[in-house]
Amino acid sequence: MDLRNIPLVGFVLEFGAQDYFLDGMLLAGPLVVLAMIVGGRSPVTTAIVGLYVLSFAGYVVYNGVVAR
Amino acid sequence: MRQRLQPLARDLGRILMALSGVVFASVVVSLAWGELFAVPALVVSGLVPLGLGRLLSTRYDDDGEVGKLHGMMIAASGWFLVAVFGTLPFVLVAWTVAVDPFPAPFAAPAAFDTPTLAAFRDPLNGFFESMSGFTGTGLTMTDDEGVLPHTIQWWRTITEWVGGVGVIVLTTAILARPGSGSLTLYESEARSEKIHPSVVSTVRTIWWIFILFTFLAISILWLAGMPPWDAINHAMTGLSTGGFSVTDASIGEYNDPVIDFAMIPVMILGSIAFPIHYLMLRGDLKNLYTDPQTRWLWGYFSLGSIALVGLLWLDGTFEAGRVAVTNGVVLTGSTASLFQTVRYGLFQFVSAASCTGFGTIGIGDWSAPAQLTMSGAMVLGAAAGSTVGGIKLIRLITLVKGTAFSIRGVFYPESAVRYLKLDDRKLGETEVSRELEEASIIAFLWFVFLAVGLAVLLLTIDGSFTLENAVFEITSAQGNVGLSSGITGPAMPTPAKVMFLFNMWIGRLEIIPVLVLLRGLLDTFNVYR
Repeated sequence: MDLRNIPLVGFVLEFGAQDYFLDGMLLAGPLVVLAMIVGGRSPVTTAIVGLYVLSFAGYVVYNGVVAR
Repeated sequence: MRQRLQPLARDLGRILMALSGVVFASVVVSLAWGELFAVPALVVSGLVPLGLGRLLSTRYDDDGEVGKLHGMMIAASGWFLVAVFGTLPFVLVAWTVAVDPFPAPFAAPAAFDTPTLAAFRDPLNGFFESMSGFTGTGLTMTDDEGVLPHTIQWWRTITEWVGGVGVIVLTTAILARPGSGSLTLYESEARSEKIHPSVVSTVRTIWWIFILFTFLAISILWLAGMPPWDAINHAMTGLSTGGFSVTDASIGEYNDPVIDFAMIPVMILGSIAFPIHYLMLRGDLKNLYTDPQTRWLWGYFSLGSIALVGLLWLDGTFEAGRVAVTNGVVLTGSTASLFQTVRYGLFQFVSAASCTGFGTIGIGDWSAPAQLTMSGAMVLGAAAGSTVGGIKLIRLITLVKGTAFSIRGVFYPESAVRYLKLDDRKLGETEVSRELEEASIIAFLWFVFLAVGLAVLLLTIDGSFTLENAVFEITSAQGNVGLSSGITGPAMPTPAKVMFLFNMWIGRLEIIPVLVLLRGLLDTFNVYR
């Protein structure tokens, strides 16, 4: 299945960051916000949200330092 | 209508249609919070700009392309019109709650009938709030944001968020001028690949960066301890350096050092030029220190914070006996005083310099030097190409380096070929003159309009406010900051409100587009020929 055929995913892939990781962060963002709203403050939601922030920071550092 | 205004009318029509889309989308918030009474008000608020926008955009659809002059006029008139029509949700929701014309389930709960919301029954107050939102200022006509319906809290937030994106697009893509620190700075040969060349492409790039940063900011604030609704709103208004809050005491409501410190990087994200964010997300991290504006921003934020903390410490502003930091860590005595001084001084300086306007503590009774230090920060602002207000760092850099370049020129023979090195660009004498002229004009006009605003303020406010209070308030309004010494509010005299509306508008557009619009309108209608 081509991801570009899924409506919102296709839109983000076409008009987003042109970078699969950052596009993934864009798509995951609403789900992370939904998790904090629906799930409340629990170890699981804290881990999900924390992972979201840390993975972004890690990617920026990796992309800027390691991948260059 | 005159021929030259037709493309302007068409593009304003498109802007109004986009605004109606934002209003209609906000209905989701009303439904989510069960505030059905606000739905009719939002629908009407969306239909009015949609109808007018569609009329203008279809009637003048074939009226040619616009040049830079029209770009300026569209920006200035567009911001004004959006603020005018953005007034409708405030006024209509306030009157809906007051009159309560609908049966259940659309009836308005009596709990929302508060003096805070009632202030928006006056269209001038609604217009003030709308202009403050779309210009990213954050000065408010509300007394207690916490009692507002969630629909209005959201509308305040979304006006700042949309206004924040708008100003980045404006400075990086549409109104790139010498000295504006946008394309002039980032379009040199070495960097031409680093920001997309077309306006449409640039706008798309800004959108995805802004949306991604919004999700990150929400996550950071939630992790710091904010409830989800508060985190969403404060992330959006913090990133757009607007400063509207959903609580009565802004960020100070939480009285939590962790939240204070978590908010600082969000405000700094909004203060860095978005073309630089783009480059860094592409892996070019060295821009954190090689880009002149960003380098100056670190130095300026650091030195300014140290200066403000020093002043507060010398004034003995915080004689705290005991402070709970986090997780059972408690400070006492002079350690507690030092911690509180650093905490509040750092936050308030970053809030002022980034033109955000979040508050963690009342500053109306701070010493005159402390207030004036913050006023200076509000006049200067941070990086062009970001969401901040103020004169911008690039103009300070241009003025400092350009002045030194001109003075050094006295000691060279006339035939000497000289260049000014600015980042990786080499500017010839003509280019230096052009950029220096632009920066000087903006700086001069900035102080002229500050002086006019200050005069109006001093003539109209009551005598309980000091001169430094008035200077603080007017620099906050024109710098699109939103910190208040207590002058701004529903009881503010009408001439002062009107003056602030003008100051906020010209401050957002860096004055010249507004003057071009006014001159263009006068010229078009042959007013002074």
